[in-house]
Amino acid sequence: MKMIKAIVRPEKADIVVRALDEAGFISMTKLDVFGRGKQKGLTVGGIHYDELPKVMFLLVVDDESLDAAVDTIIDAAKTGNFGDGKIFITPVIKAYTISTGKEEL
Amino acid sequence: MKEIIAIVRMNKLQETKRILEDMGFPSFTAMKVMGRGKQKGFIHEFTHPIPVGNKDQDVKRFIPKRMIILTVNDYEVDKIVDVIIKTNKTGNPGDGKIFVSEVIDAVRIRTGDTGEKAIL
Repeated sequence: MKMIKAIVRPEKADIVVRALDEAGFISMTKLDVFGRGKQKGLTVGGIHYDELPKVMFLLVVDDESLDAAVDTIIDAAKTGNFGDGKIFITPVIKAYTISTGKEEL
Repeated sequence: MKEIIAIVRMNKLQETKRILEDMGFPSFTAMKVMGRGKQKGFIHEFTHPIPVGNKDQDVKRFIPKRMIILTVNDYEVDKIVDVIIKTNKTGNPGDGKIFVSEVIDAVRIRTGDTGEKAIL
């Protein structure tokens, strides 16, 4: 199993959710986060924004469906400009469902 | 070291906190998150069920949850997972998930300690 941490633009969040939905990835967790990238934030006029609001998605998927999920997120969240976000993938050793108490996704 | 990420019901957080504290694991990070599972958020946990049918509302059907992140030693993982399951289980969908993953290193900022000493 792998955990996908995807940081995307807030205005793209709904589009990403719908795309993942259609691709069969329904379960996910959504967090509001603030972050910056290589461009050190954003300067609009004279005002410098150090940290920009983003939405982070946490998904845990099986190894075989990992590429499909990542491709779906990239397709949905891409605008081609700086600030589209990043996707990080980390291994998950175990997953439990609390309502059944079993070790399963 | 292992990181335990537990996503639980809002109203179970206080109880989970208390029981973990009694067991000797008072340190953790908690976050307010929104989530949904296999049921697509179709759980009538609220008195007014969210209207169905509008496609725009499909993506908005997230349910507020609390996420707890604990970093513990390898041999303590099973014990904590069991307790979290026991405390949070109601048997209905929406009870949440627990994920366990590997942590390579931990550092205590105050002293600069690394490894197991940092999470004591």
